[in-house]
Amino acid sequence: MNWTATLAQQIIRPLLLGMSIGASICISPALAEVGYPEKEELKFGFIKLTDMAPIAIAYEKGYFEEEGLYVSIEAQANWKVLLDGVIDGRLDGAHMLAGQPIAATIGYGTKAHIITPFSMDLNGNAITVSNDVWAKMKPHIAKQADGFPVHPIKADSLKPVVDEFKAAGKPFNMGMVFPVSTHNYELRYWLAAGGIHPGFYAPHKGDTSGQIDAQALLSVTPPPQMPSTLEAGTINGYCVGEPWNQQAVFKGIGVPVVTDYEIWKDNPEKVFGITAEFAEKYPNTTIRLTRALIRAAKWLDDNNNGNRPEAVKILSQSNYVGADYEVIANSMTGTFEYEKGDKRAVPDFNVFFRHNATYPYYSDAIWYLTQMRRWGQIEQDQSDEWYKDVAAKVYRPDIYAKAAQSLIDDKLIPATAFPDFSKETGFKAPQTHFIDNLTYDGNQPNAYINSFVIGLKQGDKL
Amino acid sequence: MNSLTSIASNRLIEQGRKAAVMLKITELSKLILLPFIGIAIFLVMWTVTANSIETSLGKFPGPVAVVEQFENLYSEHVAEREKAQAFYQRQDERNAARTANDPNYVAKIRGYTGKETFWDQIITSLITVMSGFLLAAIIAIPLGIWMGLSRSLQAAINPIIQIFKPVSPLAWLPLVTMVVSAVYVSPDPIVSKSFINSMLTVTLCSVWPMIINTAIGVSSIDSDLINVSKVLRLSAITHVQKIVLPASIPMIFTGMRLSLGVAWMVLIAAEMLAQNPGLGKFVWDEFQNGSSDSLARIMAAVVVIGFIGFLLDRGILALQHWVSWDK
Amino acid sequence: MSSFLEISGVDMVFPTPKGSFTALKDVNLKINKGEFISLIGHSGCGKSTVLNIVAGLYQASSGGVILKSAEVKEPGPERAVVFQNHSLLPWLSAYQNVELAVKQVFSGKMNKTEMKQWIEHNLQLVHMDHAMHKRPGEISGGMKQRVGIARALAMQPEVLLMDEPFGALDALTRAHMQDSLMEIQSQLNNTVIMITHDVDEAVLLSDKIVMMTNGPEATVGDILQVGLERPRNRLALAQDAEYNRLRSEVLKFLYEKQRKVESLTQNKQASKMQDMSQQESNEAVKFSNS
Repeated sequence: MNWTATLAQQIIRPLLLGMSIGASICISPALAEVGYPEKEELKFGFIKLTDMAPIAIAYEKGYFEEEGLYVSIEAQANWKVLLDGVIDGRLDGAHMLAGQPIAATIGYGTKAHIITPFSMDLNGNAITVSNDVWAKMKPHIAKQADGFPVHPIKADSLKPVVDEFKAAGKPFNMGMVFPVSTHNYELRYWLAAGGIHPGFYAPHKGDTSGQIDAQALLSVTPPPQMPSTLEAGTINGYCVGEPWNQQAVFKGIGVPVVTDYEIWKDNPEKVFGITAEFAEKYPNTTIRLTRALIRAAKWLDDNNNGNRPEAVKILSQSNYVGADYEVIANSMTGTFEYEKGDKRAVPDFNVFFRHNATYPYYSDAIWYLTQMRRWGQIEQDQSDEWYKDVAAKVYRPDIYAKAAQSLIDDKLIPATAFPDFSKETGFKAPQTHFIDNLTYDGNQPNAYINSFVIGLKQGDKL
Repeated sequence: MNSLTSIASNRLIEQGRKAAVMLKITELSKLILLPFIGIAIFLVMWTVTANSIETSLGKFPGPVAVVEQFENLYSEHVAEREKAQAFYQRQDERNAARTANDPNYVAKIRGYTGKETFWDQIITSLITVMSGFLLAAIIAIPLGIWMGLSRSLQAAINPIIQIFKPVSPLAWLPLVTMVVSAVYVSPDPIVSKSFINSMLTVTLCSVWPMIINTAIGVSSIDSDLINVSKVLRLSAITHVQKIVLPASIPMIFTGMRLSLGVAWMVLIAAEMLAQNPGLGKFVWDEFQNGSSDSLARIMAAVVVIGFIGFLLDRGILALQHWVSWDK
Repeated sequence: MSSFLEISGVDMVFPTPKGSFTALKDVNLKINKGEFISLIGHSGCGKSTVLNIVAGLYQASSGGVILKSAEVKEPGPERAVVFQNHSLLPWLSAYQNVELAVKQVFSGKMNKTEMKQWIEHNLQLVHMDHAMHKRPGEISGGMKQRVGIARALAMQPEVLLMDEPFGALDALTRAHMQDSLMEIQSQLNNTVIMITHDVDEAVLLSDKIVMMTNGPEATVGDILQVGLERPRNRLALAQDAEYNRLRSEVLKFLYEKQRKVESLTQNKQASKMQDMSQQESNEAVKFSNS
C-alpha cells in the first residue's frame, strides 16, 4: 500500500507540476516568472525615521497589495528589538541599518544569517550638537558672506571643544543609534577625520562599549529619543537620521553641523533585511516584496522629488514617523536647515532611487566591514577575499535583479532606470567624495583600512 | 382655636417639609455639586498650569487641546474604518481574480493590515488585561484556597510569594518574551506572541495579591464554621464549595480589586516597554513621534487610562456586590 | 451490659510554649440512652473539652469515648453539636442551613419532597417556620440559636451535644428557649449532653448534673441525679423543696468545694453568678470590685 502510494505520487506530482506551470504560462505570462507569493501575510518592522518611506509608500500606494502581499507595518522600540524580531520570526522583514545584516551574519552581536535584497536609500543622516557646543565651535569656523558658516564643517572645529571638556575633567558624550549603525561609523569617520579619537571596540576582551582610547564617548540612544536626551544634557551631540536632526532645530535645542552627504557623498544608508531562511522558504514572496519596494522607492524620487510632499504627509501620520509635517518636510523635500534660518538646498539629502540607490552593492557592504575592522568590532585581520565573501553572503543583488527584471518585463519601470544587469559586478568604481579626501575601492578593503590615520590597521590587535 | 392650631400645625408641616427639602438639597450637593466643583477647579488649575509650562513640543496641553485630540482620534478612527472597508473590497476583487486564474486557490480573507486606532488600542488593552487577570484568578484563587487550608503548603509557598510579589513588570517582561518566543512556536498562531507576552506579564504581576488575600481569607474562617463542616462530615469539595468559598469571598474580592488595579498599571507599562499593541504602545508611539499634537494625545490617553482603571475597579465592586452574601 | 455512651479514662494534655498543660485527668462518665446530662463547672474547667472529645473534634490524649460499642474517632452527624454562638452559615437562609445538614445525612435515604418536609418539620419544632427563608443576619440571637438546634435535630443524632447553647442570650429569651427545649425533648427523648454555667438551667433541664472540678487536671467531681418529674414547670419548681435542694447542692459544689477566685476579666461570669445565688452575691461583687 505504502509504496504504491509513493509510486503514484512520484508519477503524478511531476505531471501536476507541469500542468500548473503550463496553465499559468497560458493565462498570465508575467506571473509565470514570479509565482504567487508563498506567504501572503507579512509583518514588517521599522524605526521612526524618514528613510523608512519606501515601506510606508509601498503600503499606502498599494504596491504590496498588487503583489498579493498583505503587509502590516509596525514601529519598533529600537534597533535591537527590531533585529531580534526579524531573527525570531515575529517580523518577516524590516527597515535595517546597513550594518545590521552584516554584523548578524558575521556574528557580531546576535548571530543570524540575515540578507538584504534591497538597499533603501542613500544619505539622510546628520550630526547635531547642542547649542552650547555649537556656540563654542563657531569661533573656529569660517563664515560666508551672509554670515552663516562655510560648509562642510569638519570636526577640526569641534576638537578644541572636546579638549576643553577634557581639561575640565568632563566627558564629551555623543549619541549614535546602534553599535553597527551607519551613524556610528559616520560619526566616527567625521570625528577621526578631525583628529578626535572615537574609541575602539574589543569584543574578544568582552569590551563592546567602543570607548577604548576614546576622546569622545559614543553610546547608544534610540533615534526618536535623541532630541530629548540631548535636551536633558546626557549627550552633547548625536548622529541620527531624519527627522531627528530637524526636530532639534525646530525645538531649538541643538544645531546640525554636518550631513552624511558631506561626510561621504551618496553613502548607502538603510537596507531591507530578511532572514536567509525566509528568502529560501518563500522565494516568490521575497521577489514580490522587493518589487513593491523598488516601485515605492522610484515613486519617492519620481518627478524630480515631486511626490515628496505627499510622501511627507503620509510619513507624518502617527503610525509611521509621526513627527510634524514641517519637520519631516524640511529634509525630505530637498532642503536641510542647519542653524535656525540657515536653510540650504540639498537635493540629494534623501535619495531613494536615483544613482541606483536601491541596488545592493557588494562594495557598500565591504565599506561597512572595513569600518568594523577599523574600530575593532572585527578583532583580527581578514583577507580581501573574506570581505568579498561576507558581502556576497549578505547582499543579494541576484534577488534584486530578478525583481527588477520582472518589473521591466511588466513594463512598470524602464530598463534604463536600473544598472545593466548583464555587466554589473556589484562593485562601484573607486569612490572619492569623502570628507577626508581618501579614496575607497571596494576591491581592496585592506589597503583602504591601512589608509586611515586613526583606526586599527592590518596587523594591529588590541 | 381649631383653625389656629391647624394653621400652626400647617406651618410646622411646612417647615418640616422645607427642612426635608433642604436636607435633600445638601445631600444632592454632596453627591453631585461638590464633585462637580472639584472637577471644575481641577480643570481651571490644569488650564492655568498647562499654560505656564513650555516644553520643547510646545505648551503643555490644557483641557481644550485634549478634547480637540479626542475629536481627532475619533475622526481618525472613522477614517481608518473606511480604509478598512476599501481594503476588504480590494481583497475580494483580488481573490476573485486569482480564483478565476488559479482554480486550486482557496481564497482567504485576511484581516485589515492598517494601523490600529486609539479605540482599537483601548479594546486591545481591555482584552489583554482581562485575559491576564482571569488567568491570574484561575491560578491564584484555587492556589490561595489550598494554601489557606493547608498550613504546611502555606509555609512552603509563602517565602516564594513574598519574594516575587514586589517584582516590577519591567523585570519580568524580557524573561516572558524570551520564554514565549522559545515555547510558543506555531506557524499560524491563533493569538499573537505580543498578546501572550503582555498577558503573561499581567498575570505574573497580578497573581500575588490574589493568592495572598485568598489564603488569608480562607485561613481566617471562623473555626466554628469549620467545626460545623467537620460535624457534617462534608467532603473536601463540598467543604470548599459550601463553607470556604462563601466565607472567604470578601477577602478574595479584596485581592481581586488589588490585582486588577495592579494588572491595569502593569499592562500599560508592559505595552510601553515591549511595544505590544494597546494603550501603552499608543502613549509610547506618541512620545516617540514628538509631533506638536503628541502631548495632547498622550494626555487624552492618560485620561482614558484613568477612567478605564476606575471603571474596572467599579466593575469588580459591582461583581462583588452581586456575588457576595455580605451586602 | 455496657452503657449507651461511655467516656472512660480520658486525659487531655495540650502542648503550650511553657510545657504541657493537662486540662483533663481521668474523666469517666456513663450515659444512658435518652438521658439529659448537664456538665457544669467553673469556666476553664474543661467542660467544652469534654464535649469536643465526645464530638470527635478533639482527640483525647489517653482514654476514649465509646458510643454504641464503637469508638469515637472523628466528628460525625450522629453526634450533632449545637454551638454556643449558633455557627450558622451567614450566607445561607435558615432553611438552607438546615438543608445543608439534611442533604448530607439523608441523601439517598430521602427524596426531595421528604427532605423538604423534614427540614420544615424541624424548623416548626423550634418555632422558626415563619422566618425560615431569612438569613442569620436578619434574625435575632435567640432565633439563630433555634435554627442551630433545628439543624442539629434534623440530623437525627444519637447524641445531641450542646455547648452553652443559651449562654449568649438574655435572661428572658433564655428562659423561653429552655421551655422550648424541654418541649422538644419530651417529644423526641434524645440523649443530650449540655454544657452550662447556669445552675437553674442545669436543674431544670437535666436528668443528671455532672459537676466538674477546677482545672488543671479537671475531672468529674460529683454527679447529681435529678429526679424531678416531667413535665417541669419553672414557676412551680421555684417553690419545690427538692428543686431547691438540688440547686443548693450544685451551688455548694461550685462555691464551697470548688471555689474559684474570678479575675476582673471574668466579670461577666461573676455577674451571672450574682443572678443565680443571692447568698453568694456579696462575694461575687467583692470579686468584681477587687
